[in-house]
Order: sequence, then C-alpha cells, then structure tokens
Amino acid sequence: MKIVVASGKGGTGKSMFASSLAWLFSEKTKVVACDCDVDAPNLGLWLGVTTYDSEENISTSEKAKIILDKCVECGECFETCAFGAVEEISNGFSINPLLCEGCGACQLVCPVEAIELSPVMNGEIRVKNTKWGFPLVSGLLRPGETGSGKIVQEMRRRADRLSHNVMILDAAAGIGCPVIASVTGCDYAVLVTEPTPSGFADLGRILEIVNHFGIPYGIVLNKWDINPDMSQKIEEWSREQFLGKISYDRIVIDSIVNLRPVVTSNSNVTKEIKELSKKLQRLTK
Amino acid sequence: MTDIMDIIASTGGKGGTGKSTFAILLSLKLSKEGRSVLLCDCDVECPNDHLLLGRELHESSPICMKFPRLNEEKCVSCGTCSKVCRTNAIMWVKGKPPVFFEDLCSGCGACWIACPEKAIETKMKIVGETFVAKVNDNLWLLTGMSKPGITETGPVAKETKSRALKLGEKIGVDTVIVDTSPGTHCNVIQALLGCETAYIVTEPTPLGSHDSGLILELLRIMRIQSQIILNKADVGDKEVVKKTAEKYNVPVTLEIPYSERLIRAYSEGRLDKVVDLI
Repeated sequence: MKIVVASGKGGTGKSMFASSLAWLFSEKTKVVACDCDVDAPNLGLWLGVTTYDSEENISTSEKAKIILDKCVECGECFETCAFGAVEEISNGFSINPLLCEGCGACQLVCPVEAIELSPVMNGEIRVKNTKWGFPLVSGLLRPGETGSGKIVQEMRRRADRLSHNVMILDAAAGIGCPVIASVTGCDYAVLVTEPTPSGFADLGRILEIVNHFGIPYGIVLNKWDINPDMSQKIEEWSREQFLGKISYDRIVIDSIVNLRPVVTSNSNVTKEIKELSKKLQRLTK
Repeated sequence: MTDIMDIIASTGGKGGTGKSTFAILLSLKLSKEGRSVLLCDCDVECPNDHLLLGRELHESSPICMKFPRLNEEKCVSCGTCSKVCRTNAIMWVKGKPPVFFEDLCSGCGACWIACPEKAIETKMKIVGETFVAKVNDNLWLLTGMSKPGITETGPVAKETKSRALKLGEKIGVDTVIVDTSPGTHCNVIQALLGCETAYIVTEPTPLGSHDSGLILELLRIMRIQSQIILNKADVGDKEVVKKTAEKYNVPVTLEIPYSERLIRAYSEGRLDKVVDLI
C-alpha cells in the first residue's frame, strides 16, 4: 500500500501530516516513510531526524559540454536546445550547466561531435532507522542541479526494497515533475489544504494530477479555524472525499522547533490527527 | 534596456513561508511610493498572486512547445528514438513501432533529431499560459500558469519571465519583482536567472532554516545577492535562521511579525490593507 501526501500549495502541512501518518500507522503495521520533496526535504525534521545512517551520492542526470577546439560555431545546438541552456559567448557557444537538462539533443544535432555528455552527481539518498521503529528514506536534489523527478524514482526504488506493508510518501509542493514522480503508482492520495484562496485553488490543481492517474483520494483541511467560512466552503466542495479537519495550534510550531513529532504532544491536534489516521487505515485496508 | 529596470526575486526554498505575500506587499509599497512596478508570478505550477490581490485572470496568451508525433507510415520500427530518449518517454519492442508516453516527455527533441527516417514529426502543444492585469496606476501583474500534467515546467517559467521583462520594458517600469516557486529545481532557476537581488522569505523553524540553506546555496552558485526576510518572526526560534544567515554571510533585513490582520487580509485577497507590515 502506497499513500502519497500532496497539496499543490506549499506550507499547508504535508510533511507534518505525513510524519504523523507514518508514526501512527507504524503502531499497527510495518511502515517505510519516504521524503519525496527532494528540493526541500523536511519529513526527517518532523520525525526528529537530523543525521542519517547512510548517505549515498547518486547520479540521475547528465550535463552537456562543448569542446571549443572542435566547435565550428554553426549554432545548431543553440537553435535546438529546448531549455535555453546554450548561450552565445565571444568565441562560440557555451552550455549553462544550471539550465542543461542533459537530454542530449544538442549532441545529436552537432555535425562535428563537439559535444560531450557526462553524468553528474545531482542528488543524495539518505536512509535512517528512526527511533520510532520504522525507516525513513529521504532524497535530496543538490542545489543548482536538475533531475528531481528521477531522484524521486530512484529513492522510491530503494524504499521499495525495505520490508514494509505501507509506504507513506511526502510529495513536494507544486504539480510538476517531482510531484508527478511521487504520485504515480500510488494507491491512495491524501490532499492537504488550508482555508485560503491559494490553498483552495491549488487543491484544484493537484486534484487534476491525481485524477489524471485515477488515484483514489481524500481531502484533509488543516488550520481550518483560521477561516471557518472558507473551511465550510471547501468541506462542501469536497463532499464524500472530505476526510476531516485539523485545528490551528501553536503546539505544531512548538513541536517542530523542538524536533518532536506532533502526535507525541498532548493536544487537540493530536486527537484530530489520530481520528484521521484511523479513518485512513480503514480506507486503505 | 533591461539594465535600467531593477529585477528582484522573492524566493525561499520552503513552501508556504510567505514568498507571494512578501512579493505583493513589496510591489504595493513601491508602487505607492511612486515607482512603477511589474509583479511577475513565476510560481507557474501554483500561481496565486492574483488571488491575493483579488484579481481575476484575463487575456490568456498561450505558451506552446513542440512535442513528438509519430508518422507510422514512415516508421521502420528501428528503436533509435527509444534509445536516445533520456526521460524514458518512448517504449519500443523489437519489430513494432514505438509508443510515446506524453506524461514523461519533456519536448527536448532528441527523438525527432535522431530518427533516421524522419518519421517523428512535431506538433505544438499548449504547456501553459500567461495573463496580464493592471492592479493600480503604478502596478501591473503578469502571471504564468502551467497546464496540469506538464512535467517540465522550467520552459513555462522561462517564457513567463521573458514576457514579463518585455512587458516591463514596453511600459517602462522601474522594478520587476519575480515571485518564484518553492524549491530549488529548474523552474526556480529559470525565475531567478538575471535577478540582481533575491529576498529569501523564511520562517523561524528548523524547516525554514534548512530550506533557506538550500536556496542560499543555489543563489551562491548563481552569484545573486541575497537577504533574508523573516516572516512570522515572533513564532518559533529565530536563532536557527540566524545560524543559516551567518553561514552564508547574508543579512536578515526584515522581520515580519505573526499577524492575525495579515492572515485575514490574505484570506480575503486584500493584501493592500496590510502594506504597513513591511
């Protein structure tokens, strides 16, 4: 069983909720937690993890380079690159590594074989056996590198090899490549939103992705009491897909500041999350 | 021409720290002071600046990219296209024509360049759109929005930015403020390119500290001058963010306190009511 937590908008509470789910599910079954937000991986912090048992550099992308001695300055690569990575310089052309996606189109079009592609270490996969009794696999995209989707795919393969019954995946914000790589192949999606115009609009956008893959889903409304009117609107809009709501409580911020999982706090929020987790355990049996 | 416009980014690494809020408050403030400002919403996967300004999006201009289309009559089932595709978007079984998975395709063009029979033609597909709105006499908004299902949103951010710079020149604005996506990947890089200053909007938690470190690393590589804006400054622990600031030798130039008034204005799409907060 693979459950992905996504939202579109950032800061709605995905990692907070995903960490809580992993923690609560692990009381009943074998869990692996997977931090797929490789741009800003925070699931570990919500579980109190600041160091890892293993850190492995990985390469899931390549970068092109122009060999200036061979280059005849025909400009074919410049015309071809769909990502604007080929730049004109005083003595020909150069590839901006920040923009190169490593697709190889420039190399194919170069008439004099003046372009080389070589693998780059663009990410890391870290593993930790948490003190809560289940493992966490966390991906990291090195700043300035590309290929976040492929890092997600690679880390999912690693997580799959660890013995588990339930995998909880924490997706990135947005609806692009790393999110699609996280959502695809999952059995259930939990969409976390908040009662703001942005939260609601982005819920609609992530829903298009989830529906595109035909994945069953449920909606969790976080910080509902910061705007009860809008919360009611979202709840009505969600209809039978509505799973429940979580209150706004400073205890959530206190928990993260002290690197303690939210569900270990004695609070209303813990009760609400436990209810949601029970509901999800029934739904995903 | 662009060298006479200030180009400023609002970014942050972590989502939900207040990047858009800050970009809008700064735009409103500068425009009130008499500067003409273009706000560019480059968070193309989830653009929300218009909602926070209470504006509807009008005058859509599509952003198109080329994607492959197989001409089966010309295809000899050689499999070359599948071999050159680095996003694994083309499946090929020996003796059969290839199958294209558009979900995985980035539109890079490797397949149609490599095809020895010229059997892969191209079709234009809409990958996103941009919208323009006038907010007040001195403030314009240009919003980019990717089509859901498009994986590679970097080109959408790139085109959005380029349209914003062109519009800025045409109107003759003094300042372009670019609001980026969370994270550090390609669409953020595209949004940050060419910016002179970046404001990193973050929150005083270990999350804010960790993720602002990642974006500061990117900004260091890109050689963009940066400063930190600490949002919800009185909630949490400022020290963790100060450590990141020290590590990268960037100043914390502004602290925005947690404010019920701001949350309400945010919910109502009326950020113009709280410009005094910055």
